[in-house]
Amino acid sequence: MSDNIIETSGLTRSYGDICALKPLDLHVPEGEWLSVMGHSGSGKSTLMNLVGGLDRPSAGSLRVGGADLLALSEDGLARFRRESVGIIFQQHHMVPYLTAVENVMMAQYFHSVPDEAEARTALERVGLGHRLKNRPGELSGGEQQRVCIARAIINSPKLLLGDEPTGNLDHKSTVMVMELLKELRAEERFTIIMVTHNQEVAAWGDRTIYLDDGVLVREERMSS
Amino acid sequence: MIAVKLIPHLLSWFGIVLILLRGFPKRRSVVIATSIAGFVIGVVGAFLLLRVLTGSVGFVIITSVLGMCFLFLWGVSVAAIYSRAGRGVTTGWGVRLVSTPLCAGSVTAISGIVAGAVCSCTLPAMDSTLMNLAMLGSISGALAYVLAYAALAVEKRISHSFTVSPSGMISAVVALQLFSSSSIIRLDLFSPLSMKVMKFAHDFVHQFMESMLIPDHVFVWSYLWRYIGLLFGKEIGFWGGMFIWFTPVLLVMCAVQYERLPSVAHIRQGAERRKLLAAAIRQRRLRLVVPFIALLIFTAAAYQSCYPNVEYWDPKPIVVTATSSGEIIIPMKSDIDLEDGKLHKFLFKQGGKEARFFVLLGPAAKLTVDLDACAICKPDGYGQADGTVICYYCKTLIPLETVGKPGGCNPVPITFTEKKDGVHIDALTLINEWTNTVQSTTKGKEGGK
Ligand SMILES: Nc1ncnc2c1ncn2[C@@H]1O[C@H](COP(=O)(O)OP(=O)(O)O)[C@@H](O)[C@H]1O
Ligand SMILES: [Mg+2]
Repeated sequence: MSDNIIETSGLTRSYGDICALKPLDLHVPEGEWLSVMGHSGSGKSTLMNLVGGLDRPSAGSLRVGGADLLALSEDGLARFRRESVGIIFQQHHMVPYLTAVENVMMAQYFHSVPDEAEARTALERVGLGHRLKNRPGELSGGEQQRVCIARAIINSPKLLLGDEPTGNLDHKSTVMVMELLKELRAEERFTIIMVTHNQEVAAWGDRTIYLDDGVLVREERMSS
Repeated sequence: MIAVKLIPHLLSWFGIVLILLRGFPKRRSVVIATSIAGFVIGVVGAFLLLRVLTGSVGFVIITSVLGMCFLFLWGVSVAAIYSRAGRGVTTGWGVRLVSTPLCAGSVTAISGIVAGAVCSCTLPAMDSTLMNLAMLGSISGALAYVLAYAALAVEKRISHSFTVSPSGMISAVVALQLFSSSSIIRLDLFSPLSMKVMKFAHDFVHQFMESMLIPDHVFVWSYLWRYIGLLFGKEIGFWGGMFIWFTPVLLVMCAVQYERLPSVAHIRQGAERRKLLAAAIRQRRLRLVVPFIALLIFTAAAYQSCYPNVEYWDPKPIVVTATSSGEIIIPMKSDIDLEDGKLHKFLFKQGGKEARFFVLLGPAAKLTVDLDACAICKPDGYGQADGTVICYYCKTLIPLETVGKPGGCNPVPITFTEKKDGVHIDALTLINEWTNTVQSTTKGKEGGK
């Protein structure tokens, strides 16, 4: 077919009367870094949830990595989430009483079996080799988000979704996280879709789309 | 009636074919063909065997074959656990052997013959005319054909993730066979097994005591005897039997549980490596299902053996007295026929003492006189069914062939003389034997040993 990892046509999601996402046609080539911008309530998170298999569309077609998400059963969708996507949120969603390395091992456990050595290596790769045994509360916001990145990519997903991952970070931490993502993408070659409010963060991507009230209003390619 | 009786046996056979089909996934046609052939051979062969050989020889042969199957399971389970536990044990040739058509064919054929033979034992009396044989052959062939293809249809519907290891397969097949045979009293293995264990324990302790002269030893404290006493109880037979009965399938379960996982170290990508590992672990867990079912079937077989579902012949004792010379004389033929092969109970009463005994013509046309009690249980007496007598207290089945021999839960034999006018028994000997036996088994605690 094509090298598009994501292909949607007429993708729609409505909550009763509210149409959070109006019919959307979107193609994302494999390996692209796509930034998604828009006002609050414009449907960005809705789009991310659909693409990540966390939610099902009301209408339209949605293919991710060759799989038709509408045709998948609940089990199939769960497997898709486990094996094909990694997600980073604004809040870290880590288990507070587990250490960093244990939080990463959790993701391994839900995917297959835990492997501590591999989890350590992953944390070392995001520059947290010295914070392995710390709990989330003992880490700074930037460090927490880096644990989340390690956790999101531990199962080698083809697609990494970020829903305002830097929303809570200061400038310095944001740059660190962005640089880390760029580095990891160069090695692992996954596709990134990142929601952000910050023009500067969006500029790290290859392309930016703008949503307004559930409609794709504008698209902008970054000059690299 | 006969059809109802056959149902559990046919279901067991169905299960066996199902497991064999899963156990030899690449040899389905071999399994189907040999299962049908084996079953027919088993039915017809056992039918002839039971009619050509007199007495219980036919049953003994079939029981021995069942026993050998069980021993084979023991061998397989030990080999399985050894190949898991031992380092550097090469199992490659074993795996190759199992996947040959010859192996699939012979395992299936033997299973079929045994299952057919067990089914054959439930058939009613029929003459072995050519006509009957041909009918039997074609009916069993048709049955086996239908069951084999039904099993094939079911097997195709069972998820492919359920695999079975060779040892798991053997344990389930043997379990089903023993379950099927345990409902036929004369083919039952568990009760004779526990009885043998009990006898062995008795003989062992006896020999040991004798050679060590322990009873005379001043350092043996009396409480030690309480523990030695345990070795004489019926529990030793039961628990020993349970141990021998369940160990192989438990070993197989251990072997599957500790099966080595495939090496995944060469796969660089962590997620991929872990996924393969998780799949292997899941598969191994599913492979435990069949041995676990086998464990349940073994339990059912042991239960069926301990609580057999049969009616016993148990006549009311006839009161007899002694002559002035102190002899009890029971005529061969009066109201009852001593030589009809049935248990005949008598109650001897004299001077406030009494003793219960029975007279029985064994399968080898040999008369025996025995107390209606054994040396180890409370004297609840015996009933007779289907080539055995049963001790009502411990539910041990004693084949008629061994009635008249002392030991274990066998009825205590009494010396007698056979004369023209009947069986002569010395009243004093009888009373003494009864008193000694009953005293030793009911002494001290309620309910005997
Ligand atoms: N579970 C829900 N039930 C009802 N309405 C919802 C739900 N989730 C989101 N919405 C609505 O859908 C619209 C888009 O929401 P969202 O995708 O979260 O916006 P964004 O992430 O761009 O801020 C909003 O108007 C929101 O109120
Ligand atoms: Mg949002």
